[in-house]
Amino acid sequence: MNLEDLYRLLRNGHVEAQGIIDTVPDPLLVLDQNLCVRTASRAFFTFFKVDRDETIGQHIYDLGDRQWDIPELRRLLEEVIPKSTAVVDYEVEHDFPSIGRRTMLVSARRLFHPDNNSRTLLLSIVDATERRQHEAEKDVLLGELRHRMKNLLGLVQAIARQTTAAGRSGEEYRDAFLGRFNALVQAHEAAYAQEGEADLQEVLERTLEPYSAGPTGVLVESGPAVPLASKQIMTLSLILHELATNAIKYGALSIPEGQVRVRWAVAEASAPHLRLVWQESGGPAVAPPASSGFGTQLIEFAVSRELGGRVELNYQPAGLVVEIVAPLGSVS
Amino acid sequence: MRKTVLIVEDEFLIAMDLKLLLERSGWYVLGPAATVEEALELLDDELPAVALLDVTLRDGSVTRLAEALCERNVPFVVASAYSRPELIGGEILAGAPTVGKPTEERLLIAVLEKAVRS
Repeated sequence: MNLEDLYRLLRNGHVEAQGIIDTVPDPLLVLDQNLCVRTASRAFFTFFKVDRDETIGQHIYDLGDRQWDIPELRRLLEEVIPKSTAVVDYEVEHDFPSIGRRTMLVSARRLFHPDNNSRTLLLSIVDATERRQHEAEKDVLLGELRHRMKNLLGLVQAIARQTTAAGRSGEEYRDAFLGRFNALVQAHEAAYAQEGEADLQEVLERTLEPYSAGPTGVLVESGPAVPLASKQIMTLSLILHELATNAIKYGALSIPEGQVRVRWAVAEASAPHLRLVWQESGGPAVAPPASSGFGTQLIEFAVSRELGGRVELNYQPAGLVVEIVAPLGSVS
Repeated sequence: MRKTVLIVEDEFLIAMDLKLLLERSGWYVLGPAATVEEALELLDDELPAVALLDVTLRDGSVTRLAEALCERNVPFVVASAYSRPELIGGEILAGAPTVGKPTEERLLIAVLEKAVRS
């Protein structure tokens, strides 16, 4: 083997070694025992926007306007590494002049050498900024999900606690509770299934569909289009469930001949108002209840708090007439 | 002295539940208020012995109301689904007694009564 062959062999070896380093996508630095840069990878130059001449041979702290002179990194290199063979994913958060604030995971390993205990270090730098942001966003999302779940459980607790138990059998309580629970589930479904809005007609028909079988039952008359927000859909579904349950127990839906007509109009006065009427007929003679139960309170509360309107329950001899008047548009 | 409690909660079913159960336990309920504004107006009429606060309301965080309650020396109890309400509502909520959400009835009453006594 002549000198030229030997040179070519060595050169090929070197080119291949450098090629391996330059192929690794994360920035790499090889530091000598004095923490001066012996080699840097292509990824290092591109990522930190520096060139070869201002990097090789420099002390790591002097690199790029001393942007690597970071207290955390100093501690890592001067205190942690001498006592251990490798440090993996040491988190360094720093404002880099060229690329802004970043979270870097720095790993340092003694360079492997078969003969001796090398004091050369291989430093790899992984930019974890985006990963950290994703993790933070995920945490926020999970927190919000947890919050909503607990809120939903709070709603279930509220109806469980307020559904009358006194004077009822276990079965009766269970049925009354599950009736409201299902209304809550359906109201939730209706409100959030189709992102955003639904029309009043659609909400009425869907919610009252179980009671609308046959010629009698609930009849939803046609009316003007009224777009509803998810919160309003939820509230209205719960109100309708209370009205229907009440009609089945005491009102027009307690006998086959009874009927409920639901109609509405929009009054374009100074501010548009919805006027929704639930009218029962053909049922047994009705009288106002002695005390207002949770159902009635729920309706009154829901209309005033959630819809910002008012409700009147008229126990007329021919049947209950419920009139809900609520402003449109500005409802929260 | 009358046991008065101001309920601040924007979820109407939960607000109703809290109101009814506290009334059954002999409390006189102010509200429920669904917004900070509404609660502040109620404070102008009458100061409660204690306030029960949700953390996020329709018009934002309860922080401003908590500050107003502090100024008027009205103790408050936090009922929130957030495990650390102070992260949402600010430092003013740190250290306030919490009853969580869902809210257990006996715990709620015990914490409210303790808040009134102290």
